[in-house]
Amino acid sequence: MMVADEVPLDDKAKRMRDLLSSFYSPESAMSTGTDSAKHASPDDINSNSFDPDHYMNLMVHKSNLEGLLQRHVEMAAEIKNLDTDLQMLVYENYNKFISATDTIKRMKSNISGMETNMEQLLEKIMSVQSRSDSVNTSLFDKREHIEKLHRTCNLLRKVQFIYDLPDRLNKCIKSEAYADAVRFYTGAMPILMAYGDSSFRDCKLASEEAMATIVKNLQGKLFSDSESIQKRAEAAVLLKQLEYPVDNLKAKLLEKLDQSLKDIQLKPEEIKDVSVDLTPSDSAHEASINEFVEAVRAFRVIFPDSEEQLVTLAKDLVTKLVSMKSFFIYRVSLLSFSWYANFFMFARNFAIAEEYVQTRVCAADLLGVLRVIWNDVLLLDEVLQEAALSNHSLEAAKAVVMSYIKSAFSHLLQDISDSLLKVLKKDGMGEYSLEVALDASTKAVLQGGMNILQEFRKLLDHNSGILVRLRELTIDFVQEGIQDFFRQLEDHFLRFSGRNNSSAFKDHGLVEGAQGDKAFAGLVLVLAQLSAFIEQTVIPKITEEIATSFTGGSVRGYEYGPAFVPGEICRKFRSAGEKFLHLYVNVRTQRISFLLKKRFSTPNWVKHKEPREVHMFVDLFLQELEAIGTEVKQTLPQGKRKHRRTDSNGSTASSRRNPLREEKLNRSNTQKARSQLLETHLAKLFKQKVEIFTKVEYTQESVVTTIVKLSLKSLQEFVRLQTFNRSGFQQVQLDIQFLRIPLREIVEDEAAIDFLLDEVIVATAERCLDPIPLEPPILDKLIQAKLAKSKEQNAIPS
Amino acid sequence: MQGASSGIGYGLKYQARCISDVKADTDHTTFLAGTLSLKEENEVHLIRLSSSGTELFCEGLFSHPNEIWDLVSCPFDQRIFSTVYSNGETYGAAIWQIPELYGELNSPQLEKITSLDGHAGKIKCILWWPSGRHDKLISIDEENLYLWSLDASKKTAQIQSQDSAGMPHKISGGAWDPHDVNSVAATFESSLQLWDVRAMGKTISIECSHVRSVDYHPKRKHVLVTAEHESGIHIWDLRKPKVPIQELPGHTHWTWIVKCNPEYDGVILSAGTDSTVNLWLVSLGNDDVSTESQTESPTHWVDPLINTYSDYEDSIYGLTWSSREPWIFASLSYDGRVVVESVKPFISKK
Repeated sequence: MMVADEVPLDDKAKRMRDLLSSFYSPESAMSTGTDSAKHASPDDINSNSFDPDHYMNLMVHKSNLEGLLQRHVEMAAEIKNLDTDLQMLVYENYNKFISATDTIKRMKSNISGMETNMEQLLEKIMSVQSRSDSVNTSLFDKREHIEKLHRTCNLLRKVQFIYDLPDRLNKCIKSEAYADAVRFYTGAMPILMAYGDSSFRDCKLASEEAMATIVKNLQGKLFSDSESIQKRAEAAVLLKQLEYPVDNLKAKLLEKLDQSLKDIQLKPEEIKDVSVDLTPSDSAHEASINEFVEAVRAFRVIFPDSEEQLVTLAKDLVTKLVSMKSFFIYRVSLLSFSWYANFFMFARNFAIAEEYVQTRVCAADLLGVLRVIWNDVLLLDEVLQEAALSNHSLEAAKAVVMSYIKSAFSHLLQDISDSLLKVLKKDGMGEYSLEVALDASTKAVLQGGMNILQEFRKLLDHNSGILVRLRELTIDFVQEGIQDFFRQLEDHFLRFSGRNNSSAFKDHGLVEGAQGDKAFAGLVLVLAQLSAFIEQTVIPKITEEIATSFTGGSVRGYEYGPAFVPGEICRKFRSAGEKFLHLYVNVRTQRISFLLKKRFSTPNWVKHKEPREVHMFVDLFLQELEAIGTEVKQTLPQGKRKHRRTDSNGSTASSRRNPLREEKLNRSNTQKARSQLLETHLAKLFKQKVEIFTKVEYTQESVVTTIVKLSLKSLQEFVRLQTFNRSGFQQVQLDIQFLRIPLREIVEDEAAIDFLLDEVIVATAERCLDPIPLEPPILDKLIQAKLAKSKEQNAIPS
Repeated sequence: MQGASSGIGYGLKYQARCISDVKADTDHTTFLAGTLSLKEENEVHLIRLSSSGTELFCEGLFSHPNEIWDLVSCPFDQRIFSTVYSNGETYGAAIWQIPELYGELNSPQLEKITSLDGHAGKIKCILWWPSGRHDKLISIDEENLYLWSLDASKKTAQIQSQDSAGMPHKISGGAWDPHDVNSVAATFESSLQLWDVRAMGKTISIECSHVRSVDYHPKRKHVLVTAEHESGIHIWDLRKPKVPIQELPGHTHWTWIVKCNPEYDGVILSAGTDSTVNLWLVSLGNDDVSTESQTESPTHWVDPLINTYSDYEDSIYGLTWSSREPWIFASLSYDGRVVVESVKPFISKK
């Protein structure tokens, strides 16, 4: 019931509103009508587009008779309601209209009386104006007369003043009221200037005389130290008011300042003292600085107005002078322009500091010096804020810190290269152990690097004002410094290896070059290991150190990232290390290769005689290897020695290979060379390809093995270029057989070495006209003989 | 044989060292290879690449009396070639002609045009002028350099002039300047020496150690490439003989032979005793001036090694580009295997 009741109520209210609004504003009613027409269908009774026929049709179709009747009743009620609403509306509006008409009538009657009142007012005002004009004209003459009289009176008074001026001045001098005197004098000045030559001549002379005494007195006051600064300043101001040339005075005063400055020379020895006891308050330096500050303060008070220009000049000078370093220049400048001596002194102090840095200093000393200077600067800064002295000294301190860091790194670099180059220098006097060199240089790098960082840390930890301000900059400098340092170190290394490179190649063919060559190889090896050491140990440590104490340098800006990039350095050193290692292997292999070449290209192998003993080149070869072994042992770490034939593949390969080889060699007796070749190919097919050329690692065994492999490969290649007779073949067979045992002992990859040794024999057999190998017993006998002989030889020197 | 390989293989019966491109054959891509067998009868194989480029077949097989240490095909007559041979003790050199009716014969004999007698030491190589028809030949042994005048129709060769190296070291090989018919380069133990053929006198000498192979740049005058045993490959400008323009690392073991591509600038092939063939791409700059700036500013440095062919079983001594199809090269490893590869995929990239 409630719901059914509400809906028609709503409808009703809406209709009312629509009706009202259509009454008062036809447009909006129209628009709302069209609006509702959009939504409503023709059967909506409230819409404009209501179609009664359609509605009737719809009703008839939709509802039954009862419904229609009910609807009829409802509609009749609604229509009645609407009628009453309309009546009410009409009535209300009619009332309003009547009251509005009444109001308009009343307004009309009120306005009609106003015009006459306004006319009366205007008349009265006109009469007031005419009367005031007449009063004004009657009083004008008298007023003018009075003004004239007043002017005359003033003039007379002035004349009187000027006649009295000398007396007054004298009175002032007596009572020391110089300020009044100056005021009087400057007041009278224009008149004296205008009429001084004619009517007031006597007066002018007398007063000038008096003024002269005043000026004299004032000057005396200015220069007397006993007077208070206040009074002196007043005197200076007065003098200036008198247009007295003040510059002379300034110059004189400055000379005095200069005198006091000379007492404040900061001497290096003094700095040292200061840095030693670190309590500089009692030193003479401190006292004289204070004195100087006082003087400057006074000066500043005395001449307050000249400051601006002086300050700008002073700034220029400071920046210029910061770069100057010597005492000499200081003195010359002192003579020429003493006012700036105070600024100059600071420049000079920093210059001293910089000089000081050139020689080796530890951070503590530097800190002492910096602190002293900073204190001075602070004192002066109070006096002369406009000079921005602290900024300038900050700049200077920045430069000092930077050069300190730079020089620290360059010293370190020097240390490292010194310890490295000992390898070469000691060459003439005897063996300089590579081990020692390596030790020294690794220590130099690691310890030196850490020490430097420690020193820098002191700089950072220190709390004195200037360094706190410089903190971020210092961090940046340190990071950049380290990056640069390692870059330079790598450069240095490369230069070492490069410089000797060409000469090493040149020397290579010559016997006398051998010694230098050898030392060079050692150096290269040390460099290789050092590079690896730097990459693996030093860089991580330094990175750690930097991470703990040198972070937060944000001045550089983030887009550049941190200045120290350990990754890049590591990469550089890794590649450098590999390069050096390869260079070492190359140099060493070249020497051996040269030896082998001599051995194989010199004799006529086709006419070789029957082998009687193992050829001596084997000894030389082994000697070379031994030398390499000792070098390598001194520098490189021991690798994990591969267990004998742990590799199952390797063992099968070698076990398969050996019988094939022997069989082949046996069969070669029967001159079936062709099947022999086939055999070789077959063997190669079946066996695992032995990796001859593997990557060199930083271990003793790896380097030695690589060199041996390369040498044996060269040996094979040399053999291939020759043609052998039977004896030649047997000789090679003997030599190789002899080599087999000692080589096995020094290398890590026995399978590969065995394979290469076999390859040499195969190659010889292939290049042999009549390849009949030596009988094993003879082979054995000859080898034993050689062993015995070498034992004997070893026994003699020992 | 084993492993996936893009190359086309061909097996010689014996070990072999030398292979040569038959330049005069303009219809086919053909190579000549000679075997090196001390005890067996040696052979010269005429190998032709099928027109589809997928197969190598033997076009001719000729027996050769001795093991062949050097073989060069005549650049203007496809039937003529030269060999340096040895019987184990002595060396000889000869000019050969492939018989005209070899297709019909089973194992035809080579016609010997003439032999170049007069050498005492180990003959190293015979050089033909690579750029065209020229009736002169140069033969190099360990100590001497001979200039021959060859008349193929009369089957004679006469020594025109001769010069001895006069050095403590022996000559190891040489190359004839394709731009200058009068200039020959010979390699020594510790240097590279240039000769003027007219006067038979030495001209420029370049210091470099253990040169094994030398090749002139076919397009650029004054540029040549050397391969050295230990120190890799160097590229030289003869006008600035002090320092190489460029250095390449070479091979793990010796770099044996180096060849410039006849067509593509800066494409260099090297082979070595580590059983690999390396393909290099070197930027030599556009002009002589820019080569200088190139060396000074290696800012955008790229790895010059573009590919390594490692599908070999033994050291590689023979290497040649095909002049007809310059993207093809043939390599010969010591075990007698000829492998023909195309470098097209790498060259087209640039």
